[in-house]
Amino acid sequence: MKTVRHLLLGAIAAALPFPAFAQMAPAIEEPVTIRFYNYNLASAGLGREGTLEMLGTFAEANPLINVEGVPVPSSEVMSRVQADVIAGQGPDIAQIIFADLGYLVENFGVPALDDIAPAEELDEHLSGMFPRGIELARVDGDLYGLAYVFSTPVLFYNADLFIEAGLDPDQPPRTWEDVSAAAIAIHEATGNPGLLTGIFGPSAYDWLYQGFLRSNGGRVMSEDRGTMMFAEPEAVEALATLRAIAQAGAMPLVPSSSAIEAMSSGNAGMYLQTSAVQGALLRGAEGNFDLRAAPMPTFGDQQATPTNSGSALVIMTQDPVRQRAAWELMQHLTSDYGYTVITSQIGYVPLRQNAVTSEEYLAPFLRANPVVQPNIDQLDSLVPWVPLPGPSYRQILTVMMNASEQAVFGADDNIETILADAQSRAQSLVPR
Amino acid sequence: MSETTMPFPRRAGLLSAILRQPLAPWLYLAPALVALAVWIYGPLGYALWLSFHEWNMLPFAPIRSVGTLNYERLIDLPEMAQALRNTLWYLLGLLPLTVALPVAAAILTQDLAPRWRNLYRGLIFVPLIIAPVAAAAVWRWLLDPGFGLVNMAIQALGFYPVRFLQSPDLAIWTIVWITGWKLIGFSTLIVSASLANINPALIEAARLDGATEWQVTRRIRLPLLSPVIFLLVLLTILLGAQWSFTYIHVLTQGGPLGSSNNIYYLLWQFGFGSLAAGWASAAGILLFAGFGVVAAGLLWLMNRVTFHDN
Repeated sequence: MKTVRHLLLGAIAAALPFPAFAQMAPAIEEPVTIRFYNYNLASAGLGREGTLEMLGTFAEANPLINVEGVPVPSSEVMSRVQADVIAGQGPDIAQIIFADLGYLVENFGVPALDDIAPAEELDEHLSGMFPRGIELARVDGDLYGLAYVFSTPVLFYNADLFIEAGLDPDQPPRTWEDVSAAAIAIHEATGNPGLLTGIFGPSAYDWLYQGFLRSNGGRVMSEDRGTMMFAEPEAVEALATLRAIAQAGAMPLVPSSSAIEAMSSGNAGMYLQTSAVQGALLRGAEGNFDLRAAPMPTFGDQQATPTNSGSALVIMTQDPVRQRAAWELMQHLTSDYGYTVITSQIGYVPLRQNAVTSEEYLAPFLRANPVVQPNIDQLDSLVPWVPLPGPSYRQILTVMMNASEQAVFGADDNIETILADAQSRAQSLVPR
Repeated sequence: MSETTMPFPRRAGLLSAILRQPLAPWLYLAPALVALAVWIYGPLGYALWLSFHEWNMLPFAPIRSVGTLNYERLIDLPEMAQALRNTLWYLLGLLPLTVALPVAAAILTQDLAPRWRNLYRGLIFVPLIIAPVAAAAVWRWLLDPGFGLVNMAIQALGFYPVRFLQSPDLAIWTIVWITGWKLIGFSTLIVSASLANINPALIEAARLDGATEWQVTRRIRLPLLSPVIFLLVLLTILLGAQWSFTYIHVLTQGGPLGSSNNIYYLLWQFGFGSLAAGWASAAGILLFAGFGVVAAGLLWLMNRVTFHDN
């Protein structure tokens, strides 16, 4: 099957603007420099240090490969990659957010990993990873990258504020009704915000929003990605729940950067956000207050369906030698060692079973930091973050998220109308 | 036969008339004309063309003609009305900071001893040389409701902390203040230079005639400053909302709930999110046309109301 596809690819290669995908070079023999776009590098205190450490150990082990790490904020990765590719200066390997992956693969002639990497090397590397993680970087049946930093939504909470408000910190809220009650109690007892979320905000995309709606049986769009559905009754009901908490004064509208600061300085009761912020929160909490974590809340008896946030590593270069260099880097970053750094220092989910259970890697850290566990447990109920459709996917996102934020925090109570109006505008941007 | 032979000599006459034109002036003008064509009118025409197409700028992606769809989508944005209203507030809010305050500062410091004058003006000028993104970051820390210095001072006085950047009612004014604070120095510099150019004989003559300081300011300095004051008004109206772009981007991203969004930021959000060349070009053409009309009106007004000392 594979050879047939290779033959076909070779036959049509002349007709395509992309070069045919040959396999990468077997080894690196001369010094080579590769450019690596990475968004963790752009956020000091939220991943830069851990990423630099991994690049440092890689440089020691691979003296011939010089990795030029380019920090690019997560919200700008795609436009930066696109601008640089247009200018003929694209990255050799990039950390691409899952929401952008479809667009990247459909438009940039990215080589599929199972075309360029030697099959036995690829199989060996993938064998230790959680299958669910691998699937996330598959587009239309082909593997285009490796899931890299990856997180799930977690309800962080401040146990000290729970006690102050007369709540039991050993019984964290399970449902949104519990969350609402706890948030209002904390706000009334302490004056602090009861609940903050990372659902809205410029760098939130719609990853948490998708999971939030799906927990109530709603969807952002239909399964074929052709019909927008965020104004359906389930979605309206879910947003109304949030609106009620906001109206009670227990959930102020706070931008994501301030929300992290508020939570890590002990000034907020609960914070629903990616586990990626866990490192920053733990540093703030140490010796200050008791930080704990619970799984994403459910709507009544329905199962919560957390979506993953995060990104994949994608090799973009067409040059066989650079591909080899990028592949070596990719394996290093997603090794047992890599996930040990990623989980313990940055706060993402470890995607390798061995890294989780091995005493050499994460087992001691996980024992010392039970706050990480809900994040790993949620891997079973995870649903993938589905990219919005078409070339105007960013505009669809902006329309949808602006309206939803307005529905929760705005002055207008008629949130059905706000959402229905936005949905029809978003629908007009979906390719027919 | 004369009818058929007539055109020939006439055409030769036209040709020789063109050839007899001196070539030198055109050669002298050529670099400027070519630069204008290549850097201004060419891209403008290209943007106009792109604004009727859908393309994400990838060399191998197809360019699709979509008629006026890009314009319709932009004008239909419900955020548009709010952003236009906010743009007006930005301009009105900036005018006191970029015109009134600098004129006052320049006039008040004009008659000080040179050393003090330079010190004051230097202090006023300092914000301008701070990099905008760094300034924005510092302001964010200063204004933070939890630990910002400004809010600590407010709390020390017994008030509740003010959510300068998080409250939909305040965010826009906070951004106006930061933008204006950065520009006061620039405007003061321009007004000072213009003040120094006023012929001292006029002021001395007025003082000899017993004019008070206020009369000197009102009757001599302000009228002679009128061209530069109008220039500052013009700059603020045409560029003020643009100057706030960095601060909006770093501090609020147009939020909360679009309350600090202006027309530039809104069009940037929709036009450049995924390098949608069609949206972005349509946005650019709309801005070009809109502010072109405003600029023409202001220039006309400027020629009528300002006073020049010959």
